[in-house]
Amino acid sequence: MSDELAATIIGKIKAHAAPETGAITLDTELTELGIHSLELTEIVFELEDEFGIEIEMSTVDAWSNLSNVGDLVDAVRGLVETKA
Amino acid sequence: MTRPRIVITGLGGICALGTDVPAIWQAMRAGRSGIGPITTTPLHELKVSCGAEIAQMPDHGIEHRRLVTMDRFSLLAVIAAREAAAQAGLTLDADASTRAGAVIGTGVCGWETIEDNYRGILLDGRPRANIFSVPRVMTAAPAGQVSMDLGLRGPVFAVSSACSSGNHSIVAAADQIALGRADVMLAGGTEAPIIWGVLKGWEAMRVLARQTCRPFSADREGLVIGEGAGVVVLERLEHALARGAPILAEYAGCGLSADATDIVAPTVEGPTAAMARCLADAGLAPQDVDYVNAHGTGTKMNDQIETQAIRRAFGTAADRLSVSSTKSMHGHCLGATAALELIACVRAVTDGLVPPTANYRVPDPDCDLDVTPNVAREREVRAAISNSFAFGGTNASVAVKAYRA
Repeated sequence: MSDELAATIIGKIKAHAAPETGAITLDTELTELGIHSLELTEIVFELEDEFGIEIEMSTVDAWSNLSNVGDLVDAVRGLVETKA
Repeated sequence: MTRPRIVITGLGGICALGTDVPAIWQAMRAGRSGIGPITTTPLHELKVSCGAEIAQMPDHGIEHRRLVTMDRFSLLAVIAAREAAAQAGLTLDADASTRAGAVIGTGVCGWETIEDNYRGILLDGRPRANIFSVPRVMTAAPAGQVSMDLGLRGPVFAVSSACSSGNHSIVAAADQIALGRADVMLAGGTEAPIIWGVLKGWEAMRVLARQTCRPFSADREGLVIGEGAGVVVLERLEHALARGAPILAEYAGCGLSADATDIVAPTVEGPTAAMARCLADAGLAPQDVDYVNAHGTGTKMNDQIETQAIRRAFGTAADRLSVSSTKSMHGHCLGATAALELIACVRAVTDGLVPPTANYRVPDPDCDLDVTPNVAREREVRAAISNSFAFGGTNASVAVKAYRA
């Protein structure tokens, strides 16, 4: 399951997660990260910069459309492949 | 209209002198100054290098998701508010929480966040501002953060009047109780101005001391910027008695005035009016007051004008007053300073001890009051007045007195 794209995304998430958060995998629920609601938007911004894509989601959309780390990886993968 | 008696049931503070009130008071008693070289923030090419900084933050245990939303000035306010609420033994159920509020003043804003954004975007090429920039910087952030941390659902807002913000906040909070909108209010001020951008502005005015702050001393060289927060718990007397809260002192009254003259130069008349109105509002005669915690910034202009104003407001009773400027120890904490100085007044009343003006060396004939040089003085303090004057000419004096059933 682990690939380079997922590893990069998990690395970015880790920088924002609460220090006491354990290992982050594709199955980790976003609510388990101990992040403030606005921080997910910050993570989305960073992924846009990293991969040169635009994830058109407001803060509210992000929380209602994505539930775990895998969902975020899938969303980014889709956009990256479309771009390619 | 008879107004309800309001008492002080808790104190919380953090500044260069310590990260809680017992530590701060211990330093004040000893006349130990917290002023020194600034070590916690990059100063770049600043000429000024001394300040009254909190060298080591306490272990506050605030959760990550809350912490990332806070500028330093909010964090300081929450730490002080928690201490004050704990001393007051404040536990709020759903009903009581709607009758409890907070007024936390600030003179600047959450500048650490502004600084970080400008440097990051303009110098380091970062593409965006921090996502929490708006809620971190805003003047009302500390009041909101305190309300969230303690579950206060009554009146919550910020008050700003530059260097007298702390006193105006305490007065505004007492008014909420007097007007029947709340039973308990946390009140005070917070500031985290030890940042290049803020210090650069103060440096331009050439009012900062190179070494230390020496209020009322003829060899003074200006003020020293400090950081910190002070919070008191104000409570309707009956409410405090009913729940068996510790009553430290009574909030006696306030005097508010404006110079309406110049944005930076003070007048004698404005501060005189603030003190005179404070005495009248508190129902105190000049001889009933034993201690005045002076605004005492350590600039020639302030110290001499304040001396004249105290003489005019207190008349012959001025010569039996103990006066001191605790800014000589905790620095000028701008929007927080009055709240820290009210803590000094409350402890002076409860402990029968006047904290000194530290760093005092040379008498100034134009500052001829008893400024309690260097050594604390034991004396009964029946009532104390805390003075705060500010750029903008916004003056606020607050009186506290010993609680008598």
